[in-house]
Amino acid sequence: MKKIFAMLLVLTMVFSLMAMSGSAYADDANKLTVMAWDANFNIPALEAAAAAYQKVNPDFELEIIQQPGSTEVEQAVTLAASSGDLSTLPDITLFQDHAIQKFVRDYPDAWNTLEGADINWDDFGAEKLSYSTFDGVHYGAPVDNGTAIFAYRTDILEQCGYTVEDVTGITWDRWLEIGREVKEKTGFALLSMDHNGNDLPYMMMQAEGLSQFVDGKPDFANESLKKIIEVIVQGAQDGSIILANNWSEYTDSTIVGDQVAGVMNGNWIIPTISLVEANSGKWALTTLPTINGGEGYAANGGSSLYITGNCQKVDLAREFLAYTFGGGEGAIETYDNALLNGGVITTCISAGSSDVYMEGFDFFGGQAIYADIVAMGANVPVIEQNDFHYQARTYIGNAITNIINGGEVEAELQYAQELLEFEMDI
Amino acid sequence: MEKKTNRWGWAFLILASAMIMLFSFYPMFSALMTSFKTGSSANMKYADPIWKNFLRMFKDRMFMTTLKNTFLYLIIQVPIMLVLAMLLAQLLNNQHLKFRGLFRTCIFLPCAISLVSYSLIFRSLFATQGLINSVLMGLGFIEENINWLGTTSTARGVIIFALVWRWTGYNMVFYLAGLQNLDYQVYEAAQIDGANGWHTFWHITVPQLRPVIIMTSIMSINGTLQLFDESVNLTAGGPASTTMTMSHYIYNTAFGTGTANFGYASAMSFLVLVMVAILAFINLKVGDRRD
Repeated sequence: MKKIFAMLLVLTMVFSLMAMSGSAYADDANKLTVMAWDANFNIPALEAAAAAYQKVNPDFELEIIQQPGSTEVEQAVTLAASSGDLSTLPDITLFQDHAIQKFVRDYPDAWNTLEGADINWDDFGAEKLSYSTFDGVHYGAPVDNGTAIFAYRTDILEQCGYTVEDVTGITWDRWLEIGREVKEKTGFALLSMDHNGNDLPYMMMQAEGLSQFVDGKPDFANESLKKIIEVIVQGAQDGSIILANNWSEYTDSTIVGDQVAGVMNGNWIIPTISLVEANSGKWALTTLPTINGGEGYAANGGSSLYITGNCQKVDLAREFLAYTFGGGEGAIETYDNALLNGGVITTCISAGSSDVYMEGFDFFGGQAIYADIVAMGANVPVIEQNDFHYQARTYIGNAITNIINGGEVEAELQYAQELLEFEMDI
Repeated sequence: MEKKTNRWGWAFLILASAMIMLFSFYPMFSALMTSFKTGSSANMKYADPIWKNFLRMFKDRMFMTTLKNTFLYLIIQVPIMLVLAMLLAQLLNNQHLKFRGLFRTCIFLPCAISLVSYSLIFRSLFATQGLINSVLMGLGFIEENINWLGTTSTARGVIIFALVWRWTGYNMVFYLAGLQNLDYQVYEAAQIDGANGWHTFWHITVPQLRPVIIMTSIMSINGTLQLFDESVNLTAGGPASTTMTMSHYIYNTAFGTGTANFGYASAMSFLVLVMVAILAFINLKVGDRRD
């Protein structure tokens, strides 16, 4: 009997020791912890920023806590804020632009503002800041630029007698015609998308300067949205748009598997395009088509850095962010290395004019793609954002599936709007 | 002496009860309280009216869709699986069969695979450019790749197929164990009387296995109503949420895409609990032939 109790006692002690070591973040005065995801993209950017800031503050140390993805970061914030114990959060965390509004509104105590940080906000794209600003108060330091690009295979367009200029600034109807021709003559589709969480309608609406929300309510009866859905459905039926069932099918099978002559998404998709070395020199980047013609600009899926409510060294965190990502003296060094090591493109206008940005890339036929993307980023229209961004995507994606299966456009959009309104409780 | 043993008995009992209270009953009670609340999880308030979340469920068309999906899986998959498991158990119970151990292991093996990994393997098998399409195309059965996971009927079919593959062996083991307890002479007697395999199965095996059948059906119903991994990993609920299960929707409401509606998610979980309880009760009543 005694043995059993002794064992129980030991077990309890082991458990409590384990629990203690779990929450121990160092409280060194010059050390900050940051939570982020993507070892090939965001992490190199953070490392570049730490190295830049160490030049003025040699004792500075940045501990990066890597998470598998943005969802895990969101769950960590949900857990900490719901339990009321913020001590599990790091000093700074990377957060998705489309998700942050909801999290700041739901958990106001989980964040610290960037008020008082030495950042010239005019040096950033207005659209990017619209995500991280609440009632005029800045919360986030922008990291990457989610500017959407439309990449085309020039060799395939050429086979049908087109150049990149011929597909720039066209209407979606003209795009559909070209798509049909390309499909017929070469067998390639002109676009693909992960249909589970479909990004297309959002980007196409933004290129029109419109949102799926008006005054906080879903606006799916909008004529432009209807037209956009019709374009996607038509493209899917023609075979010029492939709607993949999931993310890996989208990237591995349609893009890397060489089924498409065009890719439209946030510029973070470029590393995926670049995986097929055989197609080097055959790609070119341009802007999005629009409903009535003219070049379209949109953004999709960037992220920013936020100081959490758990940060005890708020001044240090503000200074670090202002000096590096915030366009301070270390910004050029930070963003140049972030671009070189991770392909992270800035939304900071002054940092985007460095020599590194002006370089041409052989993969894209010598095009200075980064300078072009920064220039496009300045044109992205600011549109209304909403806490229910992802739910809107899901329901519109479902509507597209139902329309392809024979549903009627207006009825399906109406149904999608009703479902979303129900979820939003309005 | 007896007193001392009693004291130790109580000591152990209290320890175990305290643990169950702390880790099982208290969270259940806490979830029940949560199901009456609304608002962001950092600042939850009691709903007005208090049963708001429960009323909301019956107006929620998404929840109704997932409810229908789940019951569709239940009605089609559970009978197929249990009958198949029984047939396999009957075949493998034959004492003259060679390599019985090998066959049993092979059929049970899918159960040793993690739910997530097998779902992901099925997803890549049935991808539009996946192995199944390549094989069918190579054999000349189809002319164009089938979008298995992008079409409602085939996506549901794939999930049911996956479930049958994963769980038949598991149920078979229970039936085999049940059959081991039956006297094998009964079968030999039936054989002498001229009963064929089908007759022996329906008139000897099934009636004698009744308690095992009740247990496996309760377990299968319970498991299917809580179906989660396949819906999340194999189809991600798609196309257009037509393969999403209740548990998947509950998870989405609580943790998915930033809704964090814990109150409503808890309320839906309690409905699942009630449904499992009712179905298990019916099953017991129907199956119990004792007076």
